[in-house]
Amino acid sequence: MRFNSLAFRLFATSAAWTLFVLPLAGIIIFQLYRDDVQASFDGRIEKLVNAIAIDSLSSGGNEPVAPVNRYEPLFEETHAGWYWQIRPLDDVTGNRLVSASLATATLPSPLEEKVAPDANGARWLNTTGPVGEPIRMVEVVDTNNHVENAGRYSVIVAGPVDWLESRNANFLTRLAIALALSGLGLLAVTLFQIRFGLLPLRAIERGLSDVRSGKASKLEGELPTEIEPLQSELNALLRSNQEIVERARTQVGNLAHALKTPLAVITNEAREDKTPLGTKVAEQATIMRDQVSHYLDRARMAARVSVIGRLTDVPSVVEPLRRALERIHRERGVAITVNCPAGLRFQGERHDLEEMLGNLLDNACKWAKSNVYLNVSKKGAGQARTGPSRIVITVEDDGPGLTEDQRKRIGKRGLRLDETKPGSGLGLSIVTELVQLYHGDFALAQSPHGGLTVRLELPGL
Amino acid sequence: MRILVVEDDKDLNRQLVSALTDSGYAVDSAADGEEGYFLGDTEPYDVVILDIGLPKMDGISVLEQWRRANRVMPVIILTARDRWSDKVAGMDAGADDYVAKPFHMEELLARVRAQVRRATGHAKSEIECGPVRLDTKAARVTYDGQQVKLTSHEYRLLAYLMHHNGRVVSRTELVEHLYDQDFDRDSNTIEVFIGRLRKKIPSDMIETVRGLGYRMQAKAEPQKSDEV
Repeated sequence: MRFNSLAFRLFATSAAWTLFVLPLAGIIIFQLYRDDVQASFDGRIEKLVNAIAIDSLSSGGNEPVAPVNRYEPLFEETHAGWYWQIRPLDDVTGNRLVSASLATATLPSPLEEKVAPDANGARWLNTTGPVGEPIRMVEVVDTNNHVENAGRYSVIVAGPVDWLESRNANFLTRLAIALALSGLGLLAVTLFQIRFGLLPLRAIERGLSDVRSGKASKLEGELPTEIEPLQSELNALLRSNQEIVERARTQVGNLAHALKTPLAVITNEAREDKTPLGTKVAEQATIMRDQVSHYLDRARMAARVSVIGRLTDVPSVVEPLRRALERIHRERGVAITVNCPAGLRFQGERHDLEEMLGNLLDNACKWAKSNVYLNVSKKGAGQARTGPSRIVITVEDDGPGLTEDQRKRIGKRGLRLDETKPGSGLGLSIVTELVQLYHGDFALAQSPHGGLTVRLELPGL
Repeated sequence: MRILVVEDDKDLNRQLVSALTDSGYAVDSAADGEEGYFLGDTEPYDVVILDIGLPKMDGISVLEQWRRANRVMPVIILTARDRWSDKVAGMDAGADDYVAKPFHMEELLARVRAQVRRATGHAKSEIECGPVRLDTKAARVTYDGQQVKLTSHEYRLLAYLMHHNGRVVSRTELVEHLYDQDFDRDSNTIEVFIGRLRKKIPSDMIETVRGLGYRMQAKAEPQKSDEV
């Protein structure tokens, strides 16, 4: 995840929020819990002190009696942290009653410590117990109802603060774990949410790469409503781009074709004229003609690089070509024997296959005595292959053929080995350029029928 | 031999007409598809040279309509579009040959001769009839190896008769195939030219078939005796 990415932005904001909110929530929850625990602790010792006061002072006798312990077993255990104490006030020598847990120790009186009473007349004090442990005590001051003018008594109950704190600490640990886990969970969900939410962007990326590599002509698929406008805008852009390219290509074609008729006129006129000027013009017009064809071919080819990946049915290209060529070479009585299994497909533009086959077959027909053979097959049919699948095209004739030396030289632009056959001599070089464009192979060999074999290997299935 | 040129470029049209006329053909020309179609549909041409990119009606449609109406004269398509798909489309529409612009006039003339020969059933560019020999490439006639001097009308007449040698050719057919449409067709001229030809080659090689027309053939008797 890079810093400068949508995913990072989304994740960072989400993580920051989580890291801020979860601790805050933890603090608030802990505060509430601690207050609650404190309140319930206070409520408990307050109940105890009231119960003990009533038990002890309202039992019916003149003197306070030790309350029957039915409240807290720990009052019986020495220095357990739970204590009670009943002591007459104003008369320090009076009878003092204490819980067994207090043993010989004395609890200080909050009254004497000048602690102000709360609304119920109870006085609260945090102090230390007989063994120095922190305790919290509550004191009520009461009198014996059965005795007139009886003295006041201080009734105290104390409980251990440790108990409170251990509960708080325990809760805090569990709370922290729970919050940390939910924080991690939230971050994980956020990550997933971002990945999932941004998936359509990946789809656009893949779609664009398909468009660039020529597998698709526009962004396909149904995208979420938020980026649908983006998709349609991109498609519109692609379309207008294609139109511009198409228009440019058409203009090049039109220009080249428009030049051909005047060139024909100039050439014919100049060839009639035997002066040096006429010769020069004829020569230059021929160069112009070759240039026009060359750049026309180039423009066609350049336009095609982007459409590799299309499939062209081979037999449907071969058959019309055979028909047309047999008609063109009808006078010479050349028969073209085609062996092309149905279903073979060339991976590329239809026009390119037509140009390659057309030029090869035309050449073969020009040289053949009476027969031309066209064979198309799948490379290594029936075997397991590695690498991209290919088709093999061979064009053979029963004409005079070429020597090995001639075979090496042929295929260079403009080269014609024999000027007696009509044609500009550009045929084979167009074929080799197209073969290169498709990363295919081109080879010449001696044909068993006597003439030349041209073998092409092209991508196909 | 009568040829129709359908080409909208004025200069190219003029060049084609003049080159074909120089080669001994009677030539009509049209500058758009409709006129071309009409001429091809009504006049008997031996070869048509048809441009594809024509105003009013494109060449392919013209050709298809002729073929649909059973006009079977040889048609050579002339076009700047030289992709194989264009050639195939032209041939499928019924063309007999295809010449891509820009072209050399010699090549076009060779294609025209080839179409004439094919249509009349001759395999070679030289046609022999007994001691008379017609070189279609050079537009020359020899008799016993000696060149025969002919005017262009005489050449056209003899060339037509030789292409169709052994067959009776009517006077109407001769008029239709030897003169372009603007020519003043006086049927007597044919008789005049026949008479002139008979003075330049053995007179009995051109036989008058009463009521039908003329037939050119080598004298049968001497050839038979040669063989025996």
